[in-house]
Amino acid sequence: MNSTNMFERLFFQALRIRLVEERIIDLYPSDVIQSPVHLSIGQEAVAVGACHSLTHNDLVFCTYRSHAFYLAKGGSLNEMFAELYGKITGCARGKAGSMHLAAPDVGLMGTSAVVASTIPHAVGAALAAKRLSKDQVIVGVFGDGATEEGVYHESLNFAALHSLPVVFLCENNGLAVHSFRKARQNFDILGHAQSYGLPVYSVPEGYDFVKVAETMSAVIEQVRLSQEAVFVEIQTFRYKEHVGTGEDFSCGYRNLEDCQSWKRQDPLEQFPALVEAFRPMIMQEIDAAVHFAESSPFPSIEELLCDVV
Amino acid sequence: MLCNSAMTSPVRSEASVSAVIDTDVKVMSYRDALHWTMYDALRCHDSVILIGQGVDDHKGIFGSTIGLAEKFGSDRVMDTPLAEEGMTGVAIGAALNGLYPIQTHIRADFSLLAMNQIINLAAKYKYMFGGKFNVPMLIRMIVGRSWGQGAQHSQSLQSLFAHIPGLKVVMPSSSQTILDTYSMVIAEYQGPVISFEHRLMYDLNFHVDSRTMSRGGDPFGSHVVRQGEDVTIVATSIMVLEAMRAADHLAKVADIQCDVIDLHCVSHPDWDLVMQSVRKTGRLVVADTSWREYGVCAEVCRVVAERNPEYLKKPVVSLAMQPSPCPTAKSLEDLFYPDLRQFVNAVAKLVLGNEAHGVQLPDTQSMADVYKRFKGPF
Ligand SMILES: Cc1ncc(C[n+]2csc(CCOP(=O)(O)OP(=O)(O)O)c2C)c(N)n1
Ligand SMILES: [Mg+2]
Repeated sequence: MNSTNMFERLFFQALRIRLVEERIIDLYPSDVIQSPVHLSIGQEAVAVGACHSLTHNDLVFCTYRSHAFYLAKGGSLNEMFAELYGKITGCARGKAGSMHLAAPDVGLMGTSAVVASTIPHAVGAALAAKRLSKDQVIVGVFGDGATEEGVYHESLNFAALHSLPVVFLCENNGLAVHSFRKARQNFDILGHAQSYGLPVYSVPEGYDFVKVAETMSAVIEQVRLSQEAVFVEIQTFRYKEHVGTGEDFSCGYRNLEDCQSWKRQDPLEQFPALVEAFRPMIMQEIDAAVHFAESSPFPSIEELLCDVV
Repeated sequence: MLCNSAMTSPVRSEASVSAVIDTDVKVMSYRDALHWTMYDALRCHDSVILIGQGVDDHKGIFGSTIGLAEKFGSDRVMDTPLAEEGMTGVAIGAALNGLYPIQTHIRADFSLLAMNQIINLAAKYKYMFGGKFNVPMLIRMIVGRSWGQGAQHSQSLQSLFAHIPGLKVVMPSSSQTILDTYSMVIAEYQGPVISFEHRLMYDLNFHVDSRTMSRGGDPFGSHVVRQGEDVTIVATSIMVLEAMRAADHLAKVADIQCDVIDLHCVSHPDWDLVMQSVRKTGRLVVADTSWREYGVCAEVCRVVAERNPEYLKKPVVSLAMQPSPCPTAKSLEDLFYPDLRQFVNAVAKLVLGNEAHGVQLPDTQSMADVYKRFKGPF
């Protein structure tokens, strides 16, 4: 793929995610989506870049903020909207909502609303991949806040100890809900990860999907060959409030100026002509997915006690 | 598929742990049944891994995993860091990607550090994703008792887990139930199972079916282990053995006949079996290894009260631990757990209807002293 091609392709994917979430914002006041949404607007490049070199055989474990990863990994847009609408045709038959999207057929595994809780799953899946010689790379995605949880430490230690083919991918937006990293952490994320003997990489320009893709491509290749765990931190910026569809710059805890300077680097903000070129095609797909969700039935009583044990 | 063919002996590094298992075996200790099922699972299923603190050491989880690391390799029988939540998460991830993890907690108390993974994740993965995932795994938890185990090494936490939809919780009360349950669960069941093993039973010998080892069937059934007309005793784990001792005594000295039910799968008991028995006897005693409050005793009462309270001729009696943390002094510990004398007295009073029932009671003897086959710490 030449570089223009790659840029446009990743641009298209990132834009698709943004427009999907903007549609969610439009729909939200109507209450057709009754699910807490943690939007990835501003952070799309992380998912798009990270999934670029993964095959459907490779597995990704994520968080409640996973619309972007679900779509970047190849999850069905119809099923995603249907799930947000609480319909039987949703990816989890109406039992997941926004916070538990999954598409194992394309390698998008569990997403959890309990911070840090899927990090050890990525490690366990890597243990299985290694033992069963599955030739998989497993990616565990989590936020900067998750690195404060004990299970994060337990996971890094075990993966490093047993040389497992897992990428720890920290989506560092500097915030946990409304708290900045400095108010929460007396350690340096990279230095700490390094102390387990993990190779660490950092991408400060998390708006640049090409850069993220190149870094992740090299990292994934390295893990595939070495079968050893690697840590990657990607700095990024959350444009919206933590949960919900609004902005919260007027709430006093963060600066609009920081967001604006990030946006000045964000290709989705900087190339309006390209946005307009791609928009019609993407909108068509989104319209169709929303229509699919709206015209699907709600789950009925048979579904309530199905798949419990 | 179950794999019950040639039962060659696993390598043992500690000769005293048990006799060699051969096809003529008719008596097998609880420990050897555990060891056999672990060995058999590793032998029959390449996907099985055994993970837990100390599974590969010379003590091997009270002898139940001794020699298995040597036989099957340290990548299948893995010692773990002291990281209960993380390792449970690792087990879940491994289960999601093709392995069958068997995880051990040498004390059930330590599983409390893994509650997030067990309750928020393992129990929910199937439902929360609309049936897209299964988490086949077995978590073995050992309930300690006696010799000063105290407040944090003796808890029997079945009701915490049985409360949660998505989990199956079993409490094997004999070698045969281990053979039957573990073999089937590991071979065929696709969800997370938690098993509470009782430390005091490890050294006890039980009769087992010598022809088949595992008899197949429903690993989550409840069982009538003794038939009688006068009173129903619903029991769990080692309290099944206490119920049998009480029933023997009562039959001998007072011709009171007990119907004893081993509830076994406390999360999904066979309620019809329980109700049939209560209908027959009209009297119910529940004997559990944990506290009464919000536990198995409470749950059995709920179901009887909701279904057919008119079956009961008398109020239900429950036998359980006293409502305190477990003390360490033996004098207190013996008061904390119900003993055989209390058991017999309670049943006799219920059946004969008065305090002065005149039934001869067994001598007071600490239950731990009856079952304990070891000296010193464990
Ligand atoms: C164990 C746990 N504690 C607290 C919460 C509440 N909570 C939800 S998201 C969040 C912030 C997490 O921050 P981070 O890991 O940086 O992810 P981000 O939301 O920034 O993507 C918190 C504290 C939770 N869901 N789970
Ligand atoms: Mg964050």
